[in-house]
Amino acid sequence: MAKTYDCLFKLLLIGDSGVGKTSILFRFSEDAFNISFISTIGIDFKIRTIDLDGKKVKLQIWDTAGQERFRTITTAYYRGSMGIMLVYDVTNEKSFENIKNWIRNIEENASADVEKMILGNKCDLDSQRQVSKERGEQLAIEYQIKFVETSAKDSLNVEYAFYTLARDIKAKMEKKQKEASNPSGGRSGVHKPTLNDARKPVTWLSRCSVL
Amino acid sequence: MSTSSGDELHDQYKDLFTQDGVLLKTSVGRPVSDFNSIGMLCIVQNADGTKCIEWRPNDLITIDSDTQDQEWAVVNTVGRRQRTLSGNITSDYANLRARIIKIPLDDLKTFRITRNNQQMQFSTKPGVWQNTFYFQHGNAEIFVAYLKNHLKTAKTRHDRNTYMVVEPNDESQVLNKSFAELDIFTENTTDVVWNLVSNFKQRPYETTLEAFSKLTDIVYYGNEDVNGKRDVSEEVADLLTKSMSALEDTTSVTRSDEYEVISVKPTLPPRPCIPRGSPLSTEKWDALQDADGRIVEVEGVKQLIFRGGVAHSIRSTVWKYLLDYFPWKMTHAELKTLQKRKTEEYFSMKLQWRSVTEGQENRFSEYRDRKSLVEKDVNRTDRTHPFFAGDNNPHLAVLQDILMTYVMYNFDLGYVQGMSDILAPLLLLLGNEVDSFWCFVGFMEKIASNFDMDQAGMKHQLLQLQQLLMFASPELAQHLSQKDSGNMYFCFRWLLVWFKREFSHIDIMRLWEVLWTGLPCANFHLLICVAILDAEKEVIISRDYGFTEILKHVNDLSMTLDVDRVLSSAEGIYHQIVSAPHLTDQIRIVLGIEPLNLSMSTNSDPEPSTSTLPSTKPSQVELKEGNGNTIFGQEMDEDVVVYNGLRITIVTKTVWALLA
Repeated sequence: MAKTYDCLFKLLLIGDSGVGKTSILFRFSEDAFNISFISTIGIDFKIRTIDLDGKKVKLQIWDTAGQERFRTITTAYYRGSMGIMLVYDVTNEKSFENIKNWIRNIEENASADVEKMILGNKCDLDSQRQVSKERGEQLAIEYQIKFVETSAKDSLNVEYAFYTLARDIKAKMEKKQKEASNPSGGRSGVHKPTLNDARKPVTWLSRCSVL
Repeated sequence: MSTSSGDELHDQYKDLFTQDGVLLKTSVGRPVSDFNSIGMLCIVQNADGTKCIEWRPNDLITIDSDTQDQEWAVVNTVGRRQRTLSGNITSDYANLRARIIKIPLDDLKTFRITRNNQQMQFSTKPGVWQNTFYFQHGNAEIFVAYLKNHLKTAKTRHDRNTYMVVEPNDESQVLNKSFAELDIFTENTTDVVWNLVSNFKQRPYETTLEAFSKLTDIVYYGNEDVNGKRDVSEEVADLLTKSMSALEDTTSVTRSDEYEVISVKPTLPPRPCIPRGSPLSTEKWDALQDADGRIVEVEGVKQLIFRGGVAHSIRSTVWKYLLDYFPWKMTHAELKTLQKRKTEEYFSMKLQWRSVTEGQENRFSEYRDRKSLVEKDVNRTDRTHPFFAGDNNPHLAVLQDILMTYVMYNFDLGYVQGMSDILAPLLLLLGNEVDSFWCFVGFMEKIASNFDMDQAGMKHQLLQLQQLLMFASPELAQHLSQKDSGNMYFCFRWLLVWFKREFSHIDIMRLWEVLWTGLPCANFHLLICVAILDAEKEVIISRDYGFTEILKHVNDLSMTLDVDRVLSSAEGIYHQIVSAPHLTDQIRIVLGIEPLNLSMSTNSDPEPSTSTLPSTKPSQVELKEGNGNTIFGQEMDEDVVVYNGLRITIVTKTVWALLA
């Protein structure tokens, strides 16, 4: 069966319980919103294939339970993820403070070069806001991570967020691929094409299609 | 010349069963010189169709040397064993024939087995044991089993070894009568019985279980008194033995192969298809209480609920017992007092958090965090159900109050995600805040380890699930391991909230009440997982599902499962596992069965063996003991009958059959 996509990216949504991870995912995958979502138990994922510069990129987006207690289980699914959305709730100070903990959690459990992005969700609820946009931006600068405020409910910046993360992953892969095919210029430790790989055209596409 | 006399002798009747090496101990009206002579005890069908038990002295018959070693042999109607009469006794032939003892089955009233099953006595007149035989080789069990094919018997109440002949009769009539007495079938009993018997040949497990599932109610709700119940069980056991003897040919063949198969590739016995029963009805429930409201027959209630769940009309009452809020043995009056006390206790705990001021809350982050977590989850618990739907639904506030009070009740545990899922169906059914709280407490008692801070309880269960799957469905377990899914994390949601997210509201009530009975073994909820997964085995393996597809497939099963089918196959798998000859101690421990090797500690669970099949070492021990009428399910009150390689387990009152 022919593949319906050129490339597969595994993404991960993490953040405190109730910040809207599932809603963001639902908005992106189904373009819908439901105020009375159920809490996520364990782990699930959704798929959406997007077009990125003429390439069909299949996004496999993993949604996790937020409560700290379940982290020992959910972190098992971090492995192999290429991009992570760190989500907090602008109406919940605690969820914002916890972003630092989540970043530490990523450092311990995900690969070092995973692409990250911070999302301040529920920005439609301006009257209940506890975390200003500026604080969000400040945090992002501190960690050198991209940042955007979103509203899954009003469909604000959700598409933008996923496209941005996917584009960054793609750029990083292309860069790595280039370095790998040109060893003198690249850093060491990066995946080099093996005999197996040599049978395929050396592009970033070939690399991610085996994922 | 002697041969012709022999044939003449045999032409008049057929030996249905013979057993050698039977000593005549005493016989009323016989000369003492006849005593202690060795002979053969037979069941004989006369030319006129009547049957009798016959003892023939060895002097009369010399058995061919090649058959002499045999303890017993079934003599079928065509292939009769050849016998010759030795020359020196022919002159006395008439005398010898006179020494034959005949006991017509029509006259037989009672028989009993004594002396370690080696002695058998017969009586045709109450109070007198006219004939006593001693079985030199082996014991009388097989003879009795065959005899019972031709008689309807009942064990007497005072002595388990004494059998009353209820009615000597043709087999079909016996069966007819038994079933008619039990009043199970409304249809023509003859047809039913013969369908049953013929079905035994083709579908032994299904037929047995189908028939016996119908007996459950009778056992509990026939008009028998306590002693009467015992009789029904006996009768059932007899019927089962009788019917199963029809299977003899096939079972003896498989039996001889069984042991070799084990050493090469352990396989489970076939899965019995166990039909679900009907829910515990109001009438039955009422009948199970004494005048003061105590539940008399707790195990019986649980068995019935395990079989069929609870009728919705009495759920709100029965759940309080199942969830240990109401003690089974309390009277109505005591329950009233208890409820009053529990109501006070609830409201005093509720007051504790209710009286926390805003200022206190601001300075108490742990409390604040818990409260906000509860709030978040309450607002997304079962909101599609009318009971919790809509803005400002008052039931959400009750959910919130109960969960917050639970935080005060068990501050160490606090609130963990999933608890609102556990509580919602309880509140929905019971409607009452206090009752829901205490039932929730009871449910949490059962699953507290699911919410361990370090998730040790969940991990332990996932490991046990992997072990069970490796035993019950090794092919699938291997596949999962190969696909990096051997940790069974994809079943996390199932286990955490006991399948709440997988079944409809109606179905989850049924599943939970069945699981709360704790029957038929510990960790039955893990066998529910095995049943669901086993049903998906073909899809998962044939489509070569990988890590992500497995998770997706399992998550997508939500709301597509049939609760009765799942329960039925889980029970079937349970029977497969416990009757497997290669059952390991590891699996026994998971299912709460006493391990054979008692030194094996429950905490020393080895890592899941993903690449090797379970060790066969303990199974050899099991095999040995399995032939000796013992073990397995010792915690349950079971009668186990081992018969021609067929193990029949009769759990107290409820009845089912197993094949080993």
